[in-house]
Amino acid sequence: MTEEHEPQGTVSRRSFIEGLGFATGGVVVGTVIGVAIPGVGGDDDDGDAVARPPSDGGDGTPTPADGDPVVTPMVATAHPRVKVGTVSGLNTGDVIDFNYPTEQSAASLVKLGRPAAGGIGEDGDIVAFGTDCTHMGCPLAGTFKVEHGILGPCGCHFTTFDLGRRGSVVLGQATSNLPQILLDIEGDDIIAVGTLGIFYGFRDNLADITIVEGI
Amino acid sequence: MAGMPAESPKTQVPLPPVDAKVTTTACEYCPVACGYKVYTWPVGIEGGPAASENALGIDFPAPILSGRWPSPNMHSTVTIDGILQHAIVLPDPDAEHVNVGGNHSVRGGTLALKLYRPDGPTRDRLQHPMLRVNGTLQTISWDAAIEIIAEMIGYTVEEFGELAMGFKHYSYEYFENNYVITKFAYDAIGTPNVAPHHNTGHGTDTPGLDDTGVDAFSASYEDYKECDVAMVIGSDPYETKTVAFTQWLQPGGAKIIQVDPRKTFTAAYAEANGGLHLQLLPGTDAWVYGAIARHILEQGWQDADFIRDHVVQDRVEIDEDSAWRRRRFGLTWDEWQEAVLGNDELTLEAASEITTVPVEKLRQAAEMLAAPVDGGMPKASILYEKGLYWSHNYENTAALGNLSALIGARGRPGRATSRMGGHQRGGASGASYPKDKSPTEFEGNKVEMDCDRWMMEGNTRMVWSIGNDWINGSGASQYVAQRFREMTREIGPQITSAIPANAIAALKERLDNDGLFIVQSEIYTNSTTEYADLVLPAATWGEEDFSRNNAERRFRLYGKFMDPPGEAKPDWWAVAQVAQQMGFDGYDYADTNEIIEAYAPRSSGRKDFSALGEWTASKGIKLHDWLREQGTSGIQTPVVIENDEPVGTDRLHTDMSFKGGKSRFVIVDFDAVKERNELLGPNDDEVWVLTGRANHLWQSLYDDLRKPHLIQRYPVAFLEISPEDADKWDVVSGDMVAVESDRVRTQDLGTSFGGFTAVAYVTDEVTEGQVFSFFHYPGSPGNSVTTGDAASTPQNPRQPFKFGRGTVTKIGSTNLADVMSFVPRNIV
Repeated sequence: MTEEHEPQGTVSRRSFIEGLGFATGGVVVGTVIGVAIPGVGGDDDDGDAVARPPSDGGDGTPTPADGDPVVTPMVATAHPRVKVGTVSGLNTGDVIDFNYPTEQSAASLVKLGRPAAGGIGEDGDIVAFGTDCTHMGCPLAGTFKVEHGILGPCGCHFTTFDLGRRGSVVLGQATSNLPQILLDIEGDDIIAVGTLGIFYGFRDNLADITIVEGI
Repeated sequence: MAGMPAESPKTQVPLPPVDAKVTTTACEYCPVACGYKVYTWPVGIEGGPAASENALGIDFPAPILSGRWPSPNMHSTVTIDGILQHAIVLPDPDAEHVNVGGNHSVRGGTLALKLYRPDGPTRDRLQHPMLRVNGTLQTISWDAAIEIIAEMIGYTVEEFGELAMGFKHYSYEYFENNYVITKFAYDAIGTPNVAPHHNTGHGTDTPGLDDTGVDAFSASYEDYKECDVAMVIGSDPYETKTVAFTQWLQPGGAKIIQVDPRKTFTAAYAEANGGLHLQLLPGTDAWVYGAIARHILEQGWQDADFIRDHVVQDRVEIDEDSAWRRRRFGLTWDEWQEAVLGNDELTLEAASEITTVPVEKLRQAAEMLAAPVDGGMPKASILYEKGLYWSHNYENTAALGNLSALIGARGRPGRATSRMGGHQRGGASGASYPKDKSPTEFEGNKVEMDCDRWMMEGNTRMVWSIGNDWINGSGASQYVAQRFREMTREIGPQITSAIPANAIAALKERLDNDGLFIVQSEIYTNSTTEYADLVLPAATWGEEDFSRNNAERRFRLYGKFMDPPGEAKPDWWAVAQVAQQMGFDGYDYADTNEIIEAYAPRSSGRKDFSALGEWTASKGIKLHDWLREQGTSGIQTPVVIENDEPVGTDRLHTDMSFKGGKSRFVIVDFDAVKERNELLGPNDDEVWVLTGRANHLWQSLYDDLRKPHLIQRYPVAFLEISPEDADKWDVVSGDMVAVESDRVRTQDLGTSFGGFTAVAYVTDEVTEGQVFSFFHYPGSPGNSVTTGDAASTPQNPRQPFKFGRGTVTKIGSTNLADVMSFVPRNIV
């Protein structure tokens, strides 16, 4: 898996796309990039942005043609930038727990020891995910298995998530992937800058609970 | 697959406002049928995060295990009465049964994504009747479609006899549809050429167990929780009947004896939680149950009270039985003991050799099932499914039925013997099956017609295929496609004019030339559509009030909450229109409530709700309305009336009455099993190609293909390969492989070539010499190399789908390892 460094404060669109299996050319520089995936229709384009219509199922958004990725840059002013660890201090198998983007959003930073979709660092293997199971909310903390790069099985209903593949469900019952925390590197610091996918229990990742303080 | 939707994560979901409309229903998919609530409200409005501001009645964020968090994949927008509305399909957090508190699987949890919307992946729902004119499907009117079908059925029956008119329908899609379909087929047309989706004909799937007296769906989910030991056979309940496992079996703490050639999640779970995995060689079930039974007998652990009071002891009772199969196969207690103790292959050691299950595990299984606990029998249940009966249909179910009778696992809390189910139970007979007309026999006894063989041998002239994918759903699926092509495309003429009279003339000529006319009723096109000349758009789940049972016989209303797309109509309506066009009386139903009320007096056995029908009629209540009031609880059939109130039945056989009166033991013909293993199993150059279901995937993937969250898991068909075989074939996870066989047994008793491609998934779930694939992946079904030869199980023609064989050849590498997870699926 190719990993790319973007200018400070940006996230590579390529790292989003590659995990989903679509060819893509070039890198878009923005603060945070929203991505529309071909073939889905217009309802799935809200990457991580505040500049969008009310959550209406996305009607009215253009539908990209099959095989024709559309990039919709959107500015994410609401997600704080938060330091969650350092590259030099993180070894394969390490887990650092933190809350992001709200004070109730449990998340973990891990170094998988193998390239991951959306991974950062020299080996593209540093990722972070929300750790409340997206099936029914049970905590996944403590279930990281470095040999497989997974969180799970969940203690409640046994869902297992592949952290190398966007937090997708290996086996189990969660109806959405684990939310991925978008990361950036600033010097040696690992900075959380956004989210991809929804946290269990929330109607909006940034709503109803105090957002953590940024740097 | 090109154009397949991929998941793009969302970070928001709208909440239903306080006054959102709520419709109760149950899940479309697996046999568990969790209860769901559908919240609908107009677009432009949203509920707020405070409990007083939303219909879910909680403050957001939703608490852990509240069951009140609608994930974004539980949301869609739909059209209701012509108005665009939000729809949230939420596992019912108030459910008191089945999925108590809103538990759910990944299949049902994404029901919202199946709903028709013109701007999403479901936009290709069929919307108008279509006729194949000059090779392409062209939109016609319902009137024209009905005229053509009615005329052609009449012609087929008149010219070629009623056996030439076939129906391939389903036993899942609701009582109301099946009542009208079977009434039309059995009564109006008078043909036994009628088969449900996967089967070659009507009738039982589990004849051996039936003959030992036990009903196939006798258990209640309470039994899953009550039992201390659960012998689980031929299915992975965690993966494929998820909530039966996560809500009942696992929380109940039963030690599980998992019987399966594969080490699936449940097998690994069993071993990690005080249970066992009996990893048998495919095709050797009968020795496993036979040896366990013999060991129990030798130790004297059998349920002596049950056997004395409730098992046939006297040969006369068998000889005078009214059912030929029980006369033919029935054994008294003494006769059975003699048969088991006289069979040297049923010692633990000999059976271990045959089955590859270690002696110690067979011994432990016997102890867990029957060794006395506190001086009595352990609370053991036997839960089984297709891995058992889609192999050696009679012998496997007979051997298991004997074990079940021996330990008295019948009709008592936590001591049940029951199917877990493959799909929900929507079968309904609108008239009696005309078995006397069946051309299929066993030892001079009429058995249900082998419709697939009849078809492949060219005897069927017209068939109406309703709500199933005949080709990919059949063993030897590519041979079925070849025969369909020969009979519809290579035998002409083809239709060249959309004018009904011209189309009818062409079709009649084709039938005269020994050709075939296929009508298909569907919600999406599938592999069978290519050979259909007329395609009807069906209305389905959520688009009509329907009812059916789950695997614990829970009878519920599946409420309508949205418009069907275009001119789509429920299957009962299309059949009734044709029946009326042909001049048959009794098909002018106003709605599905009229149909369920017509079915009520005919409902019988485990589905009997005739008393309920009489009761609602006496109260002046519509049966559907009463059922709707029961919400996701419904009522378990059979229903009786006590103190002027309907009362359901949690488990069957509590009165210790069984099919044919008492329980009995039955003959297991081990020689027939060996012969069939030789006929259908792999040779030294081949491997076993096992097939079955998987957690994320439902049936033909008709919905999953359009659910990004699900199809991203398996963007192509997968093949589980053991590490040993992967080394041998120089294959790693992510490589594409071809699975092929030139010895696929066909419906008409020949052999044919078949094959499919799949991505290699190297895993210890399978052992050397065995591979596993999903049975029904579009374009690459495992069924390509499974047998279609139902005549090989002659007592009860059933396709032995679990017999697949072939070779595996590496095609090359792909980028799939970059996008698809190959993490083991059996980590506990």
